[in-house]
Amino acid sequence: MNQDPLLNMEQDLEYNNSLSKKLQRFVGYLVLIIGALICAAPLLWLIDSAFRPQIEIFQVPPVIMKGVSSFATYSLASFDRAINEFNVLTALSNSIIVVVLAIGLTVIVCSLCAFAFAYMNFPGKNFFFMTILATMMLPGVTMLVPYYQVIRTMGLTNNLAGLIIPYAASAFGVFMLRQYFIKLPHSLIEAAKIDGAGWVKIWWGIILPLSKPALAALAIIQFRLIWNDFLNPILILKDEALFTLPIRLQAMDSTNINVPYDAIMATGLITALIPITFFLLFQRQFIEGLTGGVKG
Amino acid sequence: MGGTTTTDSKFKWSKLTSYTPYFFIAPFMTLLIIFNFYPFIFGAKISLTDAQFINPGEFIGFKNFIEVLFADDKFIVSVIHSFQYAIGALVTQIPVAFVLAYVLNNISKRFRGVLRASFFVPCLINGVVIALVFRNLFGKEFGIINWFLGLLHLPNQTNWLGESSLSIVIMIAVSFWQWTGFHMVYFLANLQSIDPAIYEVAKLDGASPLRVLWQITVPLMRPAFTFVMVTSAIGALQLFDLPLMLFPNGTYGPGYAARTLVPYIYDFAFRQDFRVGFASAAGWLVFCIIMVISVLQLRFLGMGNADE
Repeated sequence: MNQDPLLNMEQDLEYNNSLSKKLQRFVGYLVLIIGALICAAPLLWLIDSAFRPQIEIFQVPPVIMKGVSSFATYSLASFDRAINEFNVLTALSNSIIVVVLAIGLTVIVCSLCAFAFAYMNFPGKNFFFMTILATMMLPGVTMLVPYYQVIRTMGLTNNLAGLIIPYAASAFGVFMLRQYFIKLPHSLIEAAKIDGAGWVKIWWGIILPLSKPALAALAIIQFRLIWNDFLNPILILKDEALFTLPIRLQAMDSTNINVPYDAIMATGLITALIPITFFLLFQRQFIEGLTGGVKG
Repeated sequence: MGGTTTTDSKFKWSKLTSYTPYFFIAPFMTLLIIFNFYPFIFGAKISLTDAQFINPGEFIGFKNFIEVLFADDKFIVSVIHSFQYAIGALVTQIPVAFVLAYVLNNISKRFRGVLRASFFVPCLINGVVIALVFRNLFGKEFGIINWFLGLLHLPNQTNWLGESSLSIVIMIAVSFWQWTGFHMVYFLANLQSIDPAIYEVAKLDGASPLRVLWQITVPLMRPAFTFVMVTSAIGALQLFDLPLMLFPNGTYGPGYAARTLVPYIYDFAFRQDFRVGFASAAGWLVFCIIMVISVLQLRFLGMGNADE
């Protein structure tokens, strides 16, 4: 085999190719690693700053550059200040209440609606479905003034319900769940119908348990949006006792002459770490939930 | 049960079943109408009045629209700011996100997971937290960015947050950090959905890697490109947290240099004069701008793939 000159040449070519491939790969990795470091750096700075006294946050070169000895000044004082002076635990529990109840409501309301679109026939079905699809494109933020007026008329300003209820109107949620439901085997529903199960029972007892991956994806998408929302809470919440974390941060930043950056960094770290932890635990579901549409 | 029912109650039951679908869609449709549709109609109505705070005001025709557009250049300036930001964000994020995804797709699976995660993490962090962190990183004397530029012997006395010509640029930079990894994940998912057999055939035909990239990969990535471009343009035009929080004292940068469209509406409705009618008119104008851009993008990129 090796005597064949043509084959030898091909092997040479392959060898050259693999060399340049190795170089390519090296450059590729280098770019990626630098990129990953740039992504991580501000977060690492936030983590470091959250544990330092205010005076050390703004030192250049950063105190941490001094090495291990710089950790001597680490303390939980800034968390203490955030909790005792700025009621950050209240804000944390408000954020959690809003996100949990809103996800629960979204899942129920959207799955009921998607269920009807997937399995039932009724006059106006297409019209309603197209209407829902169209809302996905509407930039709702532009209507923030009349939106606020609607919430106010309903007496939902300065009320966590004024955040939770509107979040559940997720057109994307209905669309996504319907796509999932129509792929489930129809025979299951036919069998349940023959057994005399009502629609509600089919929805709750058969479809929802079978759709856990889709429901989890919707919950994840809603979690990211709601946890990081800033505009709705700043519009609706006036009372400090109701503030969610982003509004708490905004208030901490704007009420003081000496901005309490130590407490802000501690609160910022709490705010950032919760979604990051969820992401690291459920990475696959996170990515698949977000990108489900693009793949198909 | 079925045996005991009379014809009369059977009739009622069947009538009820014919309404059943509407009971299922009613909760969602009610919320959608109240919180998504009604504000548009109501907004149109109050934009034609001089409503202020809780005073409903009187009908004044299109005066608000004329005032928004022509009384001063504040609105036009915020349109320009929004466009500068949106174009800057798209032009920087989308190509880099695509390249990152492409490179990431061609490396071993073990590293792919870790790298993908670290690129993705910024988009999970609240915009307020990001703004507050970057405000400090961009500090003139005690900011890490200037310190690092000094290490590289580059000019390191730039007053990033105090220079009006840099306000939009800084927001583009921060949003680049925040969103590139997010877009990358969509490109990566799309890349992984391409059938490897297509590449095998191209290889057998002797197509060069660059030609494969341009003539096979990029066209097959159209769903991801369409989705990312449309959603990130809409998102960029609705920006709110960075202009308000990145600059000290909530001033939208020196001389309002970073005041984009949504902050403009927010200011007139909730911070300055509580001019609800005026701000609604501005909202309708912004709505029209965003819709025109979305429709143009969809037409240009192909509608069929846009509904994901």
